[in-house]
Amino acid sequence: MNAIEVAGLSRTFNGLRAVDNISFTVETGEIFGFLGHNGAGKTTSIRMLTGQLRPTAGRAQVASCDVVIERRRLKPLIGVVSENQNLYERMSGRENLAFAARLYGTGSKRIDEALEQVGMLERAADNVQHYSNGMKQRLLIARALLHRPQIIFLDEPTSGLDPVVGRDIRRLVLELARQGVTVFLTTHYMEEADQLCGRVAFISEGRIVALDSPDNLKVAHGKKALAVRLDDGQTLTIALDDQDAGARLEQLVTSGQIRTLHSAEATLEEVFIQITGRRLSE
Amino acid sequence: MNSRVVAAIARKDIVDAIRNRYLLVALTTPLFVAILFRILLPGISSLNTMTIVVHDPGDSRLVTQLRASPQINLVKANSAEGLANEVENSEAVAGLALPANFNADVAAGQQPEVTVYVNNKKSSIQQAVLKQLLEQQVLALVEPIPAKLSWIDVGKEAGAQPQVGFNLNQMLFPLLLLITFGMSGALVVPLLLVEEKEKRTLDFLLTSPASLSEIVLGKALTGVVYSALIAGVLLAINHRLIGNWPLTLLTLLLGLLLVVAIGLFMGSLFQNTMQVNTWASLVLMVLLAPSFPTPGLPAALETASRLIPTYYFVEALKLSLDGTASAKLWGYLAVVLGCTVLSLFAATWGLRRQLN
Repeated sequence: MNAIEVAGLSRTFNGLRAVDNISFTVETGEIFGFLGHNGAGKTTSIRMLTGQLRPTAGRAQVASCDVVIERRRLKPLIGVVSENQNLYERMSGRENLAFAARLYGTGSKRIDEALEQVGMLERAADNVQHYSNGMKQRLLIARALLHRPQIIFLDEPTSGLDPVVGRDIRRLVLELARQGVTVFLTTHYMEEADQLCGRVAFISEGRIVALDSPDNLKVAHGKKALAVRLDDGQTLTIALDDQDAGARLEQLVTSGQIRTLHSAEATLEEVFIQITGRRLSE
Repeated sequence: MNSRVVAAIARKDIVDAIRNRYLLVALTTPLFVAILFRILLPGISSLNTMTIVVHDPGDSRLVTQLRASPQINLVKANSAEGLANEVENSEAVAGLALPANFNADVAAGQQPEVTVYVNNKKSSIQQAVLKQLLEQQVLALVEPIPAKLSWIDVGKEAGAQPQVGFNLNQMLFPLLLLITFGMSGALVVPLLLVEEKEKRTLDFLLTSPASLSEIVLGKALTGVVYSALIAGVLLAINHRLIGNWPLTLLTLLLGLLLVVAIGLFMGSLFQNTMQVNTWASLVLMVLLAPSFPTPGLPAALETASRLIPTYYFVEALKLSLDGTASAKLWGYLAVVLGCTVLSLFAATWGLRRQLN
């Protein structure tokens, strides 16, 4: 069953096409990566899918709700973590969640559960302005999960965070997916997308230019090769498509010269550059 | 319309505004201004009723005239000799000692001597008002008087109660109320909305079950609550001035809604707090302009002031404070209501346009 269905979705700003005829589906419980450089159309797409922005053309269904016609029904079914840490800074963490709970009509018991889920229960009484970026990000996720949404949109959830917090958030994302929550993720970190996402879509200049699992993309666009580092410091790349690759490898193994042996397949970043002609961080 | 969502937004803003020192100062400024007026003009609150101690053995016409004035509270003195002491040791602004044959002397064209003991503990304003009042009353004794002055308030409804004496307080009251509402309308309400845009919390609200109209109404409710609270304090301080309570409260409510709606419209136009701060003082001045006493205003400016929506609120407030329920008052209130609806519509439309 599809959690998100998008068909021919477009959005124009003053004649400029920010999102141009994109189509894709996301299955329930899937972690779907939406990757693109700055200005590629990611945020505009998320704003359309979350009912904040009307599409110029096309249609989208999220949690079986039309994003234009059924916005009111859609909103309690989704959670959104914006790339901006849009919390109320003069309020405490708990007050932020209490406000969200009142908006969603969620019981106050759920506040502590959500805080616990992101490891923020102990600091809940502190004012948000005294939180670190990592704590703010955890609180944003707790707020997005408060009303138990079917689908969660995470816009750059680990951007600018230290590795430990980033790892914790990735764990949380995987846990959510295990619980059946669909995750729509945008990230600048290709390794993160590779690690978390079942499928990724590359968006460039408003268009989806590739959509598949990270493995399939790497295989389709990368070289099949092995990187061999020898005892003398020399590094060899053996293309597996070559006819004599097996013989060369056997020779190196029997000679005992190999120090390390690695797969030399393309990274998702390299695939992205190959397809779009730009780096993700541009 | 989900009232739970509107209430949640208003509750959040009401609590949050107290923590925002800038908003708190803006909200409480009118109270400080009111207190400041009272410190600088200490006698202002007692101008409406002045106590005068009199020694009048001949039941003079002057005292009869003074007794008829609602502004004066007369207290009979025990003796002419003790009058000065009595004035000094009481709350009276002055003491009058009249001769027993006062009426006869006046009729004979003589000038009977009336001694006025002025209580110097009272403010200079009160003393000036007393002097003006006594001179008027003494002049009124001469028959025939040298010239008869007819005072006609043009535009005043038939049957309206005449205003008696000095009325600075009644002029300041609308000004203070408009400062309260103006601060709320031009500064607090736009900031409530603009801060949500600036901090991107509006994005969160728009992905929550709150609709744009509910967000706007929640902000409006916050502005109304704070303005009503401060206006309530001002009303309590000045309660003796209110002519027609139900009408005055209705006028205040509509005026309050008007400035809040104007504030929301401003909030929909501006993108950051700096823009609000830059424009707020100008907007505030325009909104307050109709409440300033401007005798002899050129016709062109008088006409221009009618383009300011708060002009109709101030005029309606003056009439309701006079206790006058007239067609003119209802007309003013209709204009205020119309401008409110228009501003609210423009605010929602402006925000929707911006977000799309």
